[in-house]
Amino acid sequence: MVAAGASQPSAPPVQPAQEGRTALSLAVVVVVLLALAPVAWLVAFACSGPDGLSGLSLGSDGLQQLLNTVGLVTAVGGLGAALGAGSGWLTARCQFAGRRWLRIAQLLPLATPSYLLAATLIDVGSRLGYRVHGSLWTVVVLTLSTYSYVFLLSTESFSVSGRRQLEACRSLGVGPWGSFWRVALPMAMPSIGAGIALAGMEVVNELGAVELLGVPTLSAGILLRWQQQGNPHGAVALALVALVIVALLVAAERKLRERSRCWNLGNDSSELERWSLRGWRLVAAWMVTLVPPLLTLGLPVLWAALSWDQLQAEPIGELASLSGRSFALALAASGITVAAGLLLAMAKRWIPNQLIQQLSFLAGLGYAIPGTVIALALMLIGGPAGLAPMVLLIWGYTDRFLAVAKGGLDAAFERIPPSMDEAATSLGCSWMAVLRRIHLPLLRSPLVVGTLLVFVDTVKELPITFSLRPFDFDTLAVRVFQYASDERVGAALVPALLILILGLAASLALIPNLERIEVEPRS
Amino acid sequence: MSGFATLRSMRRQLTPVRIGTAALISLTLTAAATASRAQSNEIGVYSGRHYNTDKQLYSQFTRQTGIKVRLLEAKDDALIERLRSEGKNSPADVLVLVDAARLDKASDMGLFQATRSAALLRDVPLSLRDSKGRWYGLTRRVRVVLVNPRLVNPASIKTYADLANPALKGKLCLRDRQSVYNQSLVADQMIQRGDAAAATWVKAMTANVTKPYFTSDTPLIRAIGNGQCGVGLVNTYYVARMVSGESGAADKALASKLKVVFTNPAHVNISGAGVTRHAKNPAAALKLIEFLASPAGGKGYAEANHEYPLKGYGSNATLKAFGTFKASGISAEQMGAKNKAAVKLMETNGWK
Repeated sequence: MVAAGASQPSAPPVQPAQEGRTALSLAVVVVVLLALAPVAWLVAFACSGPDGLSGLSLGSDGLQQLLNTVGLVTAVGGLGAALGAGSGWLTARCQFAGRRWLRIAQLLPLATPSYLLAATLIDVGSRLGYRVHGSLWTVVVLTLSTYSYVFLLSTESFSVSGRRQLEACRSLGVGPWGSFWRVALPMAMPSIGAGIALAGMEVVNELGAVELLGVPTLSAGILLRWQQQGNPHGAVALALVALVIVALLVAAERKLRERSRCWNLGNDSSELERWSLRGWRLVAAWMVTLVPPLLTLGLPVLWAALSWDQLQAEPIGELASLSGRSFALALAASGITVAAGLLLAMAKRWIPNQLIQQLSFLAGLGYAIPGTVIALALMLIGGPAGLAPMVLLIWGYTDRFLAVAKGGLDAAFERIPPSMDEAATSLGCSWMAVLRRIHLPLLRSPLVVGTLLVFVDTVKELPITFSLRPFDFDTLAVRVFQYASDERVGAALVPALLILILGLAASLALIPNLERIEVEPRS
Repeated sequence: MSGFATLRSMRRQLTPVRIGTAALISLTLTAAATASRAQSNEIGVYSGRHYNTDKQLYSQFTRQTGIKVRLLEAKDDALIERLRSEGKNSPADVLVLVDAARLDKASDMGLFQATRSAALLRDVPLSLRDSKGRWYGLTRRVRVVLVNPRLVNPASIKTYADLANPALKGKLCLRDRQSVYNQSLVADQMIQRGDAAAATWVKAMTANVTKPYFTSDTPLIRAIGNGQCGVGLVNTYYVARMVSGESGAADKALASKLKVVFTNPAHVNISGAGVTRHAKNPAAALKLIEFLASPAGGKGYAEANHEYPLKGYGSNATLKAFGTFKASGISAEQMGAKNKAAVKLMETNGWK
């Protein structure tokens, strides 16, 4: 398409064709306002407390919850980064038996909701006379359920970017490790950073698993203060602390990306030879790539096998309508969320207005807010206004998962050199034409990844669905949680397996995308 | 890139968005269709209980009365919040909640309306309903002491106070203080024995706990069964489910070796329901509550879930085998009023 090689970042494109830009700005403002409404509502609510802002305090419980949250984010972020980037690199750039399958297997953990993983671990443990409890197990569960984000976002980068640099390394006699540390890793940093930020946010708003495993975090504290202690202002204080953590995560990710920004000016399509692994290296590669997927999928299956004798299946018709609702909700949510994410990512590129830039950054913060809190905020916004539950539900999903869709797009946009936009606009293309003719084809892979990630996340999503859905509208996740929270494992079994299957199907739909990266680098 | 290729790739790009929009539209239509379907002979139920057997009972009610029941089951606290925020717009006519304190909280927030019903006055004992008729108990569950006879002598425990005996150090296991069942138990004890005595009791009892607190009842029961713990506090229906074989042969074998000890008096908690303040169809709503509270309804509502009916012991064989108990007689309303103080007391006296 354009000359190969990498260039230093240049100034943002000058935009000659202004027509239609107003519509874009307007759409962005609407999306941002919708995304920020729950957060804004929280802040306003916090300030309206009896003592204003001075009444907001952490308290000793809150401090402990904050420490737990920060500890989990750090541990899970670090482990997840190592595991995700490690398996991303191994399966993209090294050659070993089973590589192709193991690459696909990294997507399996996406299909397993962390609350399900925690519940099955506890249940299996208690049957075998072993107590699964506490922070160590929480780190294990959360790392397993989030490292795939890092894998997905980084492996693409390992596959496509810097082929020429890696070839140069090779010709200069730099070995696999050297190439990884000195070239591939720095080049993949934006994607790895985006993955860690997503995983970190997932940890901040995690509720089910931490409650089950008995590790009080901020999100558990928020709910406790709000609903059990009847102290909504105190709850919002904690929610704001959680927001700060996530804002820091997002800011750190952005910083990292800026430092290592480099445009990827296309690649030639020649296949770069992979490093062959033998001996202990091979065994290590197998361990890193095999154990996590095996655990995440194996545990629920082991659990199913152990509980088979208490299986209580619901009628097929009921199961079909549960799955249908999960599927339709996830489709609607992923389509709308990805569209909104694309809009925001585009705004960042096209609208030089600082305010819009900052707002579009803030709009991703919804991912930080525990689903329960988004649900409460939306209830309080939508309830008095008489908004239909279905609208609130989709609003909630979009708000919650906007960052998932946007993160990958932002990172991918940064790899499209502005010179392309400049060339197109100088040829008279409007932003819409550039989008259609240049960006969308180049962004195909992150768009598909984003859609599927939001899809899987929505299928697994619990608190928003649970509290905002309309009458007679149970989904698979709702049913699983109801039975599991009522400690009826046998009844939870079939819907849980269906979630796994749905998530698995979506994860497997990512395969052609992974494969495409391998055989047909973007041209 | 050729125009054709662009078009093709564009179609690929937009597909998720388009499918999403289509799915959303169809979802909205479904929801709208459901919403517009006849207000007249229909009631909306928000329920914090979620048992399959409940649904069968609602269908039975529909068959008997022709009143259609639309159901939303969620966490009790979320339902309370939703009902409050919906205010006059709420489609709910009946709110079903689990635990005395939550029922009391909802009525304090003005979410129920007072109702009068001769049938309910007859079927629901005084201590199991609100004095102003805003809510009525529907089922009873007892928080019992569960003992592994190999490790602890069941005869050594007659009251909840006996769990404070230092001889049980390391053997007693408890669920955490987030459990409303534990909160209501402590409220019950505060009312019966006074705040100071209850505080001393909680302090001494929690001093016996050396293992991490449990977050649910079933793993606690299993831990008692396999000897990791000798004794603990659990709700009757969790044990009954395991003993009846509902949760598998292994659990059945494990739980059957254990001894359910009813303290004298025993702490009884409830699930219950009331007509919502802004009910569109209050008459039909009351009819449902009357049906659920009636002895016939109670069979499906309480006993099918191994809970005790409002009066007597019902006909559930597993529950019958546990024996009889004497309820403390503390009303659900009293316990609800004491909930906040109970949580505070647990917090300051070491109940994690």
